[in-house]
Amino acid sequence: MTREHSPSDAADGAARPLLVAQDVGFHVEAPGGRLDILHDINLTLMPGETLAIVGASGSGKTTLLGLLAGLELPSTGGIELAGTALERLDEDGRAELRRRRVGFVFQSFHLMPSLTALENVMLALEIAGVDAPRPAAEAALREVGLGHRLDHYPRQMSGGEQQRVAIARAFAPEPALLFADEPTGNLDRRTGDQVAELLFRIHRDHGTSLVLVTHDPALARRCDRTAVIEDGRLALQPDAATPA
Amino acid sequence: MNAWRLSSRLLLRQGRSGALWMLIIGLGVAAAALTAVTLFTDRVGRALEQQAGEVLAADLRISGRARPADALEAQARELGLSTARLLDLDTVVYSDNESSLFEVKGAGDGYPLRGRLQVADAPGAADRPADGLPGTGEAWIEPRGLRALSIELGDPIWVGEQALTVTRLLTYEPDRGDGPFALAPRVIVALPDLLDAGLLGPGSRARHRLLVAGPAEAVSAYEQAVRPTLDDRTRLTTIRDAENQTSEALDQARRFLAVAALTAVVLAAVAVLLAALRFAEAQRDLVAVLKAFGARGAVIQRAMLLMLLGLVLCAAALGALGGGIGQHLIAEILAGNLQEPLPPVSLAPLPGLAAFTLLLAVGFALPPLAALRHVPPMRILNRSLDQRPRAGALGWLLAVAVALLLPVIQLGQPRLALYVLGGSAVLALALALAAWGAVRLTRALAHRVRGTYRFGLAGLGRREAMSIVQTTALGLGLMALLLLMVVRTELIDQWRASLPDDTPDHFMVNIQPDQADALREELAALGVEGLQVRPMANANLVAITGETPPDDAFTGQVNLSWIDRLPPANVVREGRFWSPDATGEISLASRWAERVGVGLGDRLTFDGGGQTFTGEVTSIREVDWGSFNVNFFLLVTPEAANQLPHQYIASFRAPPDRLEALDRVARSRPNVTLLDVGALVDRVFEIIDQVSRAAQVVFAFTLAAGLVVLLAALEATRDQRRSEAALLRTLGAERRMVRGGLLIEYGVMAVIAAALAVAGAAVVGGLLARELFGFDYRPGVGLFALGFGASVALIVGAGWLGNRSVLQTPPVRILRER
Ligand SMILES: Nc1ncnc2c1ncn2[C@@H]1O[C@H](COP(=O)(O)OP(=O)(O)O)[C@@H](O)[C@H]1O
Ligand SMILES: [Mg+2]
Repeated sequence: MTREHSPSDAADGAARPLLVAQDVGFHVEAPGGRLDILHDINLTLMPGETLAIVGASGSGKTTLLGLLAGLELPSTGGIELAGTALERLDEDGRAELRRRRVGFVFQSFHLMPSLTALENVMLALEIAGVDAPRPAAEAALREVGLGHRLDHYPRQMSGGEQQRVAIARAFAPEPALLFADEPTGNLDRRTGDQVAELLFRIHRDHGTSLVLVTHDPALARRCDRTAVIEDGRLALQPDAATPA
Repeated sequence: MNAWRLSSRLLLRQGRSGALWMLIIGLGVAAAALTAVTLFTDRVGRALEQQAGEVLAADLRISGRARPADALEAQARELGLSTARLLDLDTVVYSDNESSLFEVKGAGDGYPLRGRLQVADAPGAADRPADGLPGTGEAWIEPRGLRALSIELGDPIWVGEQALTVTRLLTYEPDRGDGPFALAPRVIVALPDLLDAGLLGPGSRARHRLLVAGPAEAVSAYEQAVRPTLDDRTRLTTIRDAENQTSEALDQARRFLAVAALTAVVLAAVAVLLAALRFAEAQRDLVAVLKAFGARGAVIQRAMLLMLLGLVLCAAALGALGGGIGQHLIAEILAGNLQEPLPPVSLAPLPGLAAFTLLLAVGFALPPLAALRHVPPMRILNRSLDQRPRAGALGWLLAVAVALLLPVIQLGQPRLALYVLGGSAVLALALALAAWGAVRLTRALAHRVRGTYRFGLAGLGRREAMSIVQTTALGLGLMALLLLMVVRTELIDQWRASLPDDTPDHFMVNIQPDQADALREELAALGVEGLQVRPMANANLVAITGETPPDDAFTGQVNLSWIDRLPPANVVREGRFWSPDATGEISLASRWAERVGVGLGDRLTFDGGGQTFTGEVTSIREVDWGSFNVNFFLLVTPEAANQLPHQYIASFRAPPDRLEALDRVARSRPNVTLLDVGALVDRVFEIIDQVSRAAQVVFAFTLAAGLVVLLAALEATRDQRRSEAALLRTLGAERRMVRGGLLIEYGVMAVIAAALAVAGAAVVGGLLARELFGFDYRPGVGLFALGFGASVALIVGAGWLGNRSVLQTPPVRILRER
């Protein structure tokens, strides 16, 4: 299995951003007329970078995440993921891109209840076409500290443990970019902190870029940059950690 | 909040949810299908019952040498039953030219209480139902009677001292009595005319009959009240005792309809099970919320029970309405094909049907709903914390067993129900086991194959419990449909074919021994088919193992025949049939043996014209009276030909264009009588036809129930599939992968369900044919190929269509799902 990036990619490929959103807008046709959800979103993410998206509930964070990951297409503007313009791909093309480049962590975990922790992680590896999914899945689970719970079902685990399985599932195929939509939103403070710690450790150890939607200012501060969404518009806050 | 308010809120809150409608529709269709089929089957059953009454021209008959007392008639009328009187006697009838022995029937007002007389206005003219009876001074005579007396319509005849005018030709009497073997032609006159004919002196061989008919309960009440008061010279006969070709056909007809009704029951049960499971599953989130807001488990449980009752009431009402309309439609469709109007709908089966719906709902839906009280409130925060309810509590089985028992009791065909329901239960078990095995196998296999296959196969394993339930439900539904198809087409066709094309439609009786060979040749030259010529002696049974036999209609004068080997349409039940050169042996039809109380080893002595034959009973036969072959209760070894005076009886099927010639052959020997039983054969084929049409309409209803099963089965997992598809797509799976996975999953399920359903239908169909319909059923290749192919296509196709929305699921859905 080969991957086209490594922590050093950020240095050599400084000119090639991992994710670019240009003038992105999103609206839906609602019964009462057109509903504008996002306007004029512009943002760039370099490999290895971390970005926090914050904003009030209903401001459009989740919608933006879905667009950036190619789960749906913007109404206006364009998004480029790993050098590919998303609007040029059909749904399956975008799925393939996600499979190779993108991992997801959700607020409510979304593990398959009838599969064990190990099987849940293996599922993602199988979709990604990894040849030996079992050892890779075991390694990923050990890395999130669940090496002893491989054969446990989601219902036998606490929320924090389930989210750790979800994280293992997200990074096991070694994506370049990991999207997390309020990954600590369903967890208590302490557990949330542990999960956040884990995400940043994976970022450090694997060079994975992170796009993190969160409510938590402390968590946002740990990212290289923070984007604030207000009324569907994005205000990038400059951050000292932003690479030049 | 109390349980009442909670349950009504719960119901209201779910108005939009598909699960609620699925359960109502499932229960409603189950109730409607069963109601329609039961009401209709009940109607047809009663119609058939009445037709069976034709054999006696009544539901019950009291007959004897003495006139049944007026008190007996009054008693019947008190119970609301209708009555009629008859007088039968054999006497010589005179015309201006000739005289001949006739069977004369004096018919009192109201005769026949069941069935109709058929008459014609000229020899060879088409016959029609008679309105009323011969008036005073009139006589209706069998066509061959004209020949015997050398008269024409309108000529006078004398019966005793009565001068009568022949006004009509009598072509059909429902209670033809001795069937086609009656030697003398028949004539029917008004009862007062016969009473005044001066023929009833001492020593007359007249037989008086009192006919009774009416609602089944009243008839059986009357039978119970009257039977003990009768002396042993008076005989009470009900339609149960009457056995002939027509009643046999009617019996089979009832069984066919019962099979159709039972398959509807099986389908209904399966539909309700699936709908209930889905409904309960859909309630879980709601219950978690309620609990989170502080509702107590007991209140929730009571609310669920009340909600279920409300649902059952709705569904039962809908079902009764739909079923009522459905059965009316069925009756309308059939109306044109029925000889007589169907009896009115009886509401008697309705309470049973309501109870059936209730028990079915309770049996299948209550356990999963009751289990909801254990839903952890934490589910609201995290769905994965929710443990699935466990299947297989004993409580279910009891309710379901009782539910299934109801239609069995209502249909009153326990053995048949045993085959259909037992077959279904065995099949359900086999299906569940096979599905379980397949799930296990695919799990193991899933790790060895790649890509799409792994998904599809893993899909089965991911939904282990649901896969098993779905496969079982689909298999059962398919079996019920296939079974009905078998019944509708193959069984009925083969039943029809079991009455061969050369089923005799003519009998020639009273052939003297020296005429037999020549007649045989002449008949063969005419091109008759299926010719059988059998000897027949009319003898008195004078002793049973040395003792005088009891006075019974079955003893006294009997017809017996001899033969050197077991005749067709006969099966030996006890003992062994004799070898061709045996002597002094007797073989009895089981009915006769039981009736007279004779068994293997008994010695019977017959007296015919002063000569006797004595033999030992060495075998008891089961006779297929429906076969229209010439059959005898009593068979003896061939040497009896030298000991008993006898004649011959021929049966054959005559080519329609040789009837004139046939008539000449018969006329050339004055002693020989030709009988046309074509009308009787036609009657049986007519019944078969009616039944197959009825079964076809019932089939449509059952098909509807089957489709609901299929939909419910697919619907049951759709939400889960949608979430899964969204997750898989988010993780980067291509649509092709999700689609391929679905197809493989449904394909495996379809193959298992279809294979077992086809096998089940063949086995149950075969059992029904052999045990209940009395012929060997060979499942056609058509059933296997077509049934299997159609089943697989149906499941995969429906799974495909039903899951298009799954494939369309936008992956972004996953972000918005809790
Ligand atoms: N498909 C849609 N149709 C209508 N409204 C939508 C749709 N998707 C999102 N919205 C609306 O867009 C707004 C932003 O939603 P969302 O991105 O989920 O916000 P956040 O994640 O920041 O809480 C909300 O007001 C939501 O109701
Ligand atoms: Mg959100």
